[in-house]
Amino acid sequence: MNPDDQVYPEEADTRLLLAAALAEVHPDDRVLEVGTGSGTIAAALAAAGGVVATEINPHAASAARRLGVAVIRTDLVSGLCGLFTLVIFNPPYLPTAPEERIPDWMERALDGGPTGREVIGRFLHDAGRVLAPNGRILLLISSLTGETEMRNLLEAEGYVSEPVSSLTYEGETLTVLRLRRNLQD
Amino acid sequence: MRRRLLSILCCPTCKGDLELQVSEETAEEILEGVLRCSGCRIDYPIHEGIPDLLPRGTVPE
Repeated sequence: MNPDDQVYPEEADTRLLLAAALAEVHPDDRVLEVGTGSGTIAAALAAAGGVVATEINPHAASAARRLGVAVIRTDLVSGLCGLFTLVIFNPPYLPTAPEERIPDWMERALDGGPTGREVIGRFLHDAGRVLAPNGRILLLISSLTGETEMRNLLEAEGYVSEPVSSLTYEGETLTVLRLRRNLQD
Repeated sequence: MRRRLLSILCCPTCKGDLELQVSEETAEEILEGVLRCSGCRIDYPIHEGIPDLLPRGTVPE
């Protein structure tokens, strides 16, 4: 099998998040892209300043490196300890039952566990460790991940959110949220 | 990976600092080497310029 068949390609969600990221980034931001996949977004942002990316899939990590991205193979942010002012994440969010799981890398780029929020939840739980005090997160979510449930999850993990852009595509609404720490807590 | 990237990397398990051992590098970056967590006694490889910080077994004594 061609290794590139195991790498999530640029899709409508990639383009939506890329546009939001380009509008959000400042020249002095320290940027982290989590799960960069093919590296499209990180490579585009690297032109604007310092960008680091993580990726668990070895084929995707190699593809991102070929685009010149400083990529680290790790799960979400687990091997990182620095602080970033802008964190970008297009997560796997498709609700997937255990019996539907296929053990390959492409499937892993899509599989959000039974609720679609499993990987998002793990990310939000650990992201605070690498987010600068006034840092922002751009997180892509889908109508498939449940609006009320997402709001509850964000609140429980201590974030306030606002939508920055959205797109309805084949009956699914994709939204980019800007998250900040809830300083009221 | 560029050398300066080391400052933001840590052991994915204990979050401790990593010690760099280089076996191949260019003027710009490290291509092959090891990132060692002495606390966990785990070696994380750097291969083809990519540090691999996935959890793995400890190095035998």
